Amino acid sequence: MSDVSTTSGNQLSSAVVLAAGEGVRLRPLTANRPKPMLPAGTRPILEHVLNALIDTGVDDIHLVVGYQANRVRSHFGPTYREIPITYHTQTNQLGSGHALLQARDGPEGSFLLVNGDQIVDHRIVEAVGEAHADAATLAVVEGPEAADYGAVSVDGDDVTELVEQPASGEFRLFNAGVYAFSQRIFEVLETLSVERGELPLTDAIQRLIAADEHSVGGVRTDHFWIDATHPWDLLSLSRELLSRGWVDAPAIDGDIYVDDTAHVHPEATLVGPVVVDSDAVIEAGAVVGPYAAIGASATVGSGSVLQDVVVDTDTTIGPNTTAIELVAGQGCELGAGLTVAGGPADVVLDDQVHGDVDLGGVLADRVGLGGGVSLEPGALVGPDATVGEGVIVRGRIDAGSEVVR
Amino acid sequence: MCGIVGSIGRGEGTVDVLMDGLRSLEYRGYDSAGIALGPETTVLRKSGELDALSEVVDATEPTGTYGIGHTRWSTHGPPTDRNAHPHTDESGRVAVVHNGIIENYAALKAELEETGVTFTSDTDTEVVPHLIAQRLDAGVDPETAFHDTVDRLEGSYAIAAIVEGRETIYAARQGSPLVVGVGDGTTYLASDVPAFVDHTRDVVFLEDGQRVVATPDGYTVLDSDRQLVDMAVETVSYTAEATGKSGYDHYMLKEIHEQPTALRQCFSGRADALDGTITLEEVDEIPQPDAVQFVACGTSYHAALYGAAILREMGIPAEAYLASEYALSPPPVSLGTLVVGITQSGETADTLAALRDAKSRGVSTLALTNTVNSTAARECDHAVYIRAGPEIGVAATKTFSSQLVGCNLLAEELVDGPRDLRPLIESLRDLPDDVQSILDSSRAGELVEEYADSDAYFFIGRGTNVAVALEGALKCKEISYEHAEGFPAGELKHGPLALVTPETPVFAVVTGDDERARKTLGNIKEVQARGAPVIAVTDGVSDAAEIADETLMIPETSERAAPVLANVQLQLFSYHLADALGRPIDKPRNLAKSVTVE
Repeated sequence: MSDVSTTSGNQLSSAVVLAAGEGVRLRPLTANRPKPMLPAGTRPILEHVLNALIDTGVDDIHLVVGYQANRVRSHFGPTYREIPITYHTQTNQLGSGHALLQARDGPEGSFLLVNGDQIVDHRIVEAVGEAHADAATLAVVEGPEAADYGAVSVDGDDVTELVEQPASGEFRLFNAGVYAFSQRIFEVLETLSVERGELPLTDAIQRLIAADEHSVGGVRTDHFWIDATHPWDLLSLSRELLSRGWVDAPAIDGDIYVDDTAHVHPEATLVGPVVVDSDAVIEAGAVVGPYAAIGASATVGSGSVLQDVVVDTDTTIGPNTTAIELVAGQGCELGAGLTVAGGPADVVLDDQVHGDVDLGGVLADRVGLGGGVSLEPGALVGPDATVGEGVIVRGRIDAGSEVVR
Repeated sequence: MCGIVGSIGRGEGTVDVLMDGLRSLEYRGYDSAGIALGPETTVLRKSGELDALSEVVDATEPTGTYGIGHTRWSTHGPPTDRNAHPHTDESGRVAVVHNGIIENYAALKAELEETGVTFTSDTDTEVVPHLIAQRLDAGVDPETAFHDTVDRLEGSYAIAAIVEGRETIYAARQGSPLVVGVGDGTTYLASDVPAFVDHTRDVVFLEDGQRVVATPDGYTVLDSDRQLVDMAVETVSYTAEATGKSGYDHYMLKEIHEQPTALRQCFSGRADALDGTITLEEVDEIPQPDAVQFVACGTSYHAALYGAAILREMGIPAEAYLASEYALSPPPVSLGTLVVGITQSGETADTLAALRDAKSRGVSTLALTNTVNSTAARECDHAVYIRAGPEIGVAATKTFSSQLVGCNLLAEELVDGPRDLRPLIESLRDLPDDVQSILDSSRAGELVEEYADSDAYFFIGRGTNVAVALEGALKCKEISYEHAEGFPAGELKHGPLALVTPETPVFAVVTGDDERARKTLGNIKEVQARGAPVIAVTDGVSDAAEIADETLMIPETSERAAPVLANVQLQLFSYHLADALGRPIDKPRNLAKSVTVE
């Protein structure tokens, strides 16, 4: 049951990356871009994903794009780090198997498959590529998260069962979402049909296991792996990356990373770990960090104190702001004296209450706040909303709305 | 007459190398194309886009171990098979491709005809193979025949020739671009680097007057006295993939969406928002000019109008000139005049001619260009780069936006005296996100449904928005083939108003709420009174949105930055209009990306 184009033990040079999904649980941050383009530190999650692939020697990348595809295309263009990117469009988001099918004419022979919204240590990718021998190989991680990611049963090096949404506690091993496939996966996917609006990749892998119990390999790994499910997860994602130094700016002192084109006033203080990306400006008297990611062309006003924040590209934070555990999207204009005191908070998302979340607040893209605004812990402000001077924001503000008091 | 390629030392793969090279130069022209292969001087040529030639090549499977190729944009003679390059002499021994114009071709042709030579095409190029053949008949060797011929040519040209029985490509550059690619055992020739960047990134940029003799063993560069010249080999960084479409339907749409990135690159590292200063590292201290004359063509001319307007506001006398007019009726200059050429490619023949004219009169010249190492960049005293990245779509989009930002950076660099640039810097820093917000939410595509079958489209504005109106109209006519005109809004009543009817939508660019904006509101009412629907492109500061029939909104910003944003809305309208009409958006008829003939 082996594919002629598969050679065991060699690193695979082609990869398919799934970046078509919106990531609805990350709304309102996904109004203008898919989840893979949300910030991990100061760069899109997908940049970290592609870095891991390229670091393992991949030189042929196929990106499946769909929701707000132009954002992905215009960010990466035809090449990334001199590696050519081929784009495949998934017009309707009908699951991971359907997404992969869109790239059917892409890679020749065996290839890697990773999720565009999940950051993995490149050694996981390497291990999967090296172990790949038959129809499919996947990375298996041990931990309590099986209920969220799909559980796996293994027998030696073989995967014997995949279970989506298992009853909790039953399984300890789960699917890390890093795969290698031979071309057979496309043949199997083509025999399946979209049911209930979805064609999951796991259905195709089940078929492979059913046809030959040795055709799907599992590679145990304990290397670093992280993703974001809810908006506040972007804070922990950023913390993890900053702690590891996975940032795209040079270290100027220990864990303080500042791009050459950024301007930090001599009387501003950076407290590591902290990253300040290209053309960002930190004004006099500001204290930024620890755990602050200041995106490209963002501005931190004089005298502001920021800790545990993700401030995305082009956002301006006015002077004398105090912000803890804040996620701010792109192009926000925040007036002077903003107060974000930080969590814990009970946050309601899609009628579900998430208790004790460490979140000061989330501002989606291009939010405008007047001077002296306060965010109560856990506040969510939709894109293009404007909030007048001195307002205390509680709970949720919808996209485009104007709040004057 | 536009792109040429050559390859020697590659053996059997030569045909593919030439065809791939032509494919990547198609942006330079696409009326007809052809190749000539040695050692038998096999010539294939075909009118129409390159695909037409591909079919002939696939059908006849020509062989050859070296060769030259051409993709043509007509200047002399219509785009027919017989006017397609390569051109040959009567016996078919010599084949020649040429980009540029041979100004004394009529005299040379008459002379050749007197000796009994029969011409088979309408082109100026055909004199070249006949002249070479005549020298061969006189008994000289092929290389001498080539030099003797080139010595007699006047005008601008890049030429490549092969002669039967001699495994060599001869080439010459005078006023039109020609670069040599230095590969492993293969030498490539082309009008532009993308033609061979798949094979090598080691490049020799030839200078005017130089000639190249390439054989399977390597190449030599000679000057016009036929003396050997030692030329530096430079390694270029960009990859062939940098010209892919990234999954967009058209390069133009890709480039419209690349504007936030392009603007970020243009601005990056050049401004200090903390102390309010702007620095262009690539230019040495330029003394403040007494006057500035901009020279440019097409879209770049509209950027020049904008650049001149902002310099005048800063107290520097500044004018924009169409480059094709400048050298013919040169305006007076003084020693303190600076002439600024704006050219995306840095190869625009009209702009180069104007810059050379200025230089010959002893004034300083500066190139504002997107292309490092281009002729304009090398010939001018100073060069400022807009860093927009490669632009393939014939209709310029992102490079115009970057040119406007480049004009701001340049103006602030040129004008002395302390002033607080922080408000300007802030608005230029905001531009990438402001453009992104338009791309995320523009209604321009919806307007097309309503206005796609109008009789004509008019665009009006005042002040720096005149440049936007003219550019909006140019974009519209270039890619949609619909009649479009742009006017300074105040000029309408002096004539163009006669064209305005209920079937001619008028796009009014109104930003801010100053006197210019208020007067433009008056012009809106003027055309509405004639029944024309008005689409306001506005930041919502004035009452334009309330008065107009439709609105394309842009974020509120500074007076300097607003034209960039307004233009993006008009780009999107033109794109969607052309798309709805099924036009070949990236290759509009009769147009070429960089016009390297005067």
